[in-house]
Amino acid sequence: MSLHAFLVAPFAYGFMQRAAISAALLGLSGGLLGCILMLRRLALMGDALSHSLLPGIAVAWLWFGPSTPALFAGALIAGLLTALGSTLISRLTRVKEDAAFGALFIVFFGAGVAILSRLPTRLNLEHFLFGNILGVSVGDLRLAAAAGGATLAVFLLFRRSILLETFDPLFHRAIGGQGGLVHFGVLALTVLNLVAALQTMGVVLALGLFLLPAVSAYLWCDRFGSLLAASVAVALGCSAGGILLSYHAGIASGAAIVLCLGAVFLGSLVFSPSHGAAARLLEYLRGRRSVRHSP
Amino acid sequence: MSAPNILSFRGVTVAYGRTRRGQPALEDVTVDIPCGSLTAILGPNGAGKSTLLRAALGWLPLARGEIRIGDAHPEHALPRLAYLPQRHVIDWDFPIDVRSVVEQGRYRSLRPWQRLGAADHGIVDRALAELDLGAVAGRQIRRLSGGQQQRVFLARAIAQGADIFLLDEPFAGLDLFAVEELTHILRSWEAQGRTVLAAVHGLDLARRVFARGVLLATQLVAAGPLDAILTEANIDRAFRRAQCVHATADGTPVPR
Repeated sequence: MSLHAFLVAPFAYGFMQRAAISAALLGLSGGLLGCILMLRRLALMGDALSHSLLPGIAVAWLWFGPSTPALFAGALIAGLLTALGSTLISRLTRVKEDAAFGALFIVFFGAGVAILSRLPTRLNLEHFLFGNILGVSVGDLRLAAAAGGATLAVFLLFRRSILLETFDPLFHRAIGGQGGLVHFGVLALTVLNLVAALQTMGVVLALGLFLLPAVSAYLWCDRFGSLLAASVAVALGCSAGGILLSYHAGIASGAAIVLCLGAVFLGSLVFSPSHGAAARLLEYLRGRRSVRHSP
Repeated sequence: MSAPNILSFRGVTVAYGRTRRGQPALEDVTVDIPCGSLTAILGPNGAGKSTLLRAALGWLPLARGEIRIGDAHPEHALPRLAYLPQRHVIDWDFPIDVRSVVEQGRYRSLRPWQRLGAADHGIVDRALAELDLGAVAGRQIRRLSGGQQQRVFLARAIAQGADIFLLDEPFAGLDLFAVEELTHILRSWEAQGRTVLAAVHGLDLARRVFARGVLLATQLVAAGPLDAILTEANIDRAFRRAQCVHATADGTPVPR
């Protein structure tokens, strides 16, 4: 197979183009937001948020039937309620943010399953979890563009506030910054992008785009700007690579993207020159040898 | 004659909601901090040392009383204040280099779409030079000694252009050499007329570094030159109020 046939020809199809654009848009915001969530030690929060979308979808299904805009609106509202609730609980009570998220998402997920169990038709849970990126419609693409555009705009305009709120929230407050607003803004963007990722990747696999690029880049970068850039680059590269893999190997698209991300993560873990396992091991062995040889 | 006061607390009372059974964290504290002084806030755990700093920053609603900075309410004097967080709240693995941290001191003056200007870079350069960080400006903050790490945040405070420095336990977690280094820096700031108000844990340390002190035990026990206020009676009063320990004159707390 020629390189052209391998890399370019698949994108002659409209569904492949839409898949690539939608993955790129979600990779852009996932790469950016993932860095912030990781640095704030909220890496698992995406998981919590994604489960909390379910009751919104279930209620929307109950009231409006299988209408895509209603389902998305329901998911968005449920996710925002979880984010807002956890932010408020952690700031007003003794309960810390991780526990607040954990508690809320379980209750939300339970409510979602409860409502679904009363529905006459079964909502396709598998689709909710795993999505179908090769079935992206123009409407899905618009939603992904809105989510990706909003994320990029917020990061460009408020890059310093986001940096300060992540690095040193007390200092941010001391110079008059709106810490709570910035924090909730990041959570709200996370919800928006998870909802936009529903159709294409499904919530579970979308989490891959929110976590793996950031953690991989974190192993290579010692500056905030380069961390964000590398994270987005990994997300974009793996999205394209994963779609090609899924096309040629005939495997599920979301899973293929996550596998590409996983390969980059694994490679970074081992081979990162300053923070990787191989470098640390070498350093350790060298240290041991010098101890043994010293008089 | 005495220097004019730059910070004054008048009958300041702070209560953290219902969590502490209505007992205030600070009660009716009236104290003046002279301009250009090096003042330590002293007292047992829970005496309200950090609360006093946070109140000065305008972060806490006052149940009673008033705080003035120069002639202004804290809200209008924020640019004059620089706050130094405790060491342990910083994630030292954060992907950021020394210069970028010091640049944060200029963020307040920038609109969201603006970049740092030539003047800002000049201020950052001078702050780095003053704290002898020029050679390590490009290093990630984990790859510094403890003293250098502390100096990065002092340089950020300088870059803010502040003249009042509020330091929360600046000596905590520093090794002996770094303590000497910080002492030297604070003394030179005093000579330059900068005002420093610092929460400090050890009385011995405070005696070696600071000229003045505020001894707290929720209420004000004593304030003034350290030699004058650190009497056995005052220390006993301050630490006895904490009810579980009592301290000897050299400041060593002794369980009762």
